[in-house]
Amino acid sequence: MTDKISKDDVIDIDTADEPVRRTFLKTTGLTALGAYVGMSIPFEGNLMALAQGMSEEDIMASKDGLILMSDRPLNAETPAHLLDSDVTPYEHFFVRNNGLVPDHALDMDAEGWTLTIDGEVDTPLELSLANLKEQFEVITQRLVLECGGNGRAYYNPGASGNQWTTGAVGCAEWTGVRLSDVLNAAGVKDSAVYTAHYGNDPHLSGDPEKDAISRGAPIEKAMAEGSMIAWEMNGEPIPAVHGFPLRVVIPGYPGSASQKFLTRIWLRDQVHDGAKMTGYSYRVPAYPIAPGTEVPEEDMVILTEMPVKSLITYPQSGTQTPTGQATEVRGHAWAGNGDVAAMDVSIDFGQTWIKATLESAKNKFTWQRFRADVTLPQAGYYEVWARATDLNGVEQPPVVPGWNPRGYGNNMQHRIAMIAT
Amino acid sequence: MNKQPISLRVLLCATIAFGATGASSQEAYDPMRPTVNPLGPAASITTAPAAELDPELGNLPVGLGAEDTYYQCIACHSTAIIRQQHLTDQRWDYLWTWMIEDQGMYEPDDETRDVILEYLKTHFSSER
Repeated sequence: MTDKISKDDVIDIDTADEPVRRTFLKTTGLTALGAYVGMSIPFEGNLMALAQGMSEEDIMASKDGLILMSDRPLNAETPAHLLDSDVTPYEHFFVRNNGLVPDHALDMDAEGWTLTIDGEVDTPLELSLANLKEQFEVITQRLVLECGGNGRAYYNPGASGNQWTTGAVGCAEWTGVRLSDVLNAAGVKDSAVYTAHYGNDPHLSGDPEKDAISRGAPIEKAMAEGSMIAWEMNGEPIPAVHGFPLRVVIPGYPGSASQKFLTRIWLRDQVHDGAKMTGYSYRVPAYPIAPGTEVPEEDMVILTEMPVKSLITYPQSGTQTPTGQATEVRGHAWAGNGDVAAMDVSIDFGQTWIKATLESAKNKFTWQRFRADVTLPQAGYYEVWARATDLNGVEQPPVVPGWNPRGYGNNMQHRIAMIAT
Repeated sequence: MNKQPISLRVLLCATIAFGATGASSQEAYDPMRPTVNPLGPAASITTAPAAELDPELGNLPVGLGAEDTYYQCIACHSTAIIRQQHLTDQRWDYLWTWMIEDQGMYEPDDETRDVILEYLKTHFSSER
């Protein structure tokens, strides 16, 4: 429990040649990285990550200050104070993988990559990256990606999966094309009701017949503003761990709808039933239940729009501030159904609220900056609570919202400690 | 060894008990720490004694079934995801079936299954 990570430890990883190293990673739980589960990852510079032929360990070494949840598959979340930038940089963007990072991505090799559009379309398409860039209008949007299970750690009894607290969220600048433009080019038939997304990331079992994950979205959502196919994140080719060379982004939905390593979008005449679309995965009960209740599978419905949420990104929890002097508190607010309407903070445990300024959204489904000045009246312990309100007047709850078997959609108010001195 | 402050995820470590007092405890207090979240339903501070972990078995707690559990599970994933869980017995039963039917897990004999499920329900439970 008292171990400290030294920089030397982190770069002192196995330097055997790549195939051997990857085999090792896939066949044992005792990876060098595994020793750091539950600890923050020190920043070891991006040079390593930019090198060709990197391993999953190298990827995590290029992430700065993230908390490693799981080393196989790779999952790591970001402490709130490291999410202060309007656009989340690569080194602070959370990592959520259902399968293994495929070799082509580790090698950053997109040679011969194609995207197939088929199913309920007039003309199936097979598009190279060059086709996508040439045939459609290229757009850049700031879009929030949030894991459906962000906040799962606060459900009791526990819900299975990674115990994300607040950090499975980020807002990057994505460059690519509108999903609607590509689907319209193929001609969407009236019979199309759902998209089915496929990537080439290997299933954890190694079974080539299994998909690590294959989710989708209702055709109306796929055709709506925001949904896109992206090849750049923050002006660079999408990094390996975030889906190189191509991913779909379905903003406002659980991040799992935004398939990485995208190879195919199949338009279906029914709700998609691919890997992690069915059972309890990314589903919530159709009716309110008491915590710990077993719900029959047929009563679980697909989680679509994520609820309104916010995060205090400055100051860091536990910061000291002079008594009686105004201190800026700031962060971001976002909502799965689009923009946020209002933002309030409290320094008295929600008894009274202070209106925060809320910047307008650069584009729909980005997060919006809020700021408020708070003055702590006497020396001692305070908490700052943050509450966002969406366009329908729906606010974040102060407590964990309805318990559900897999712990999705927790949008409880974020709180930090502030010490007046 | 170069010492740096690090963040520890309480649920992963499962056994941390913050012993700080006075001013230092005030500063170290994090209102978003899952185990001391006063707004979570039935939240409580974990007071269980520290379990001994086996570094040879992915830091699973020492106990009957640890070895079977380790070799059954690491075919697909590391022990990190196991060590985060605190589930009802029914959820563990469901997960076992899901692993076999949906995720391609090898199905061991009934005796081994019982040993592993008992181990998981003992060490990673919301019920005990």
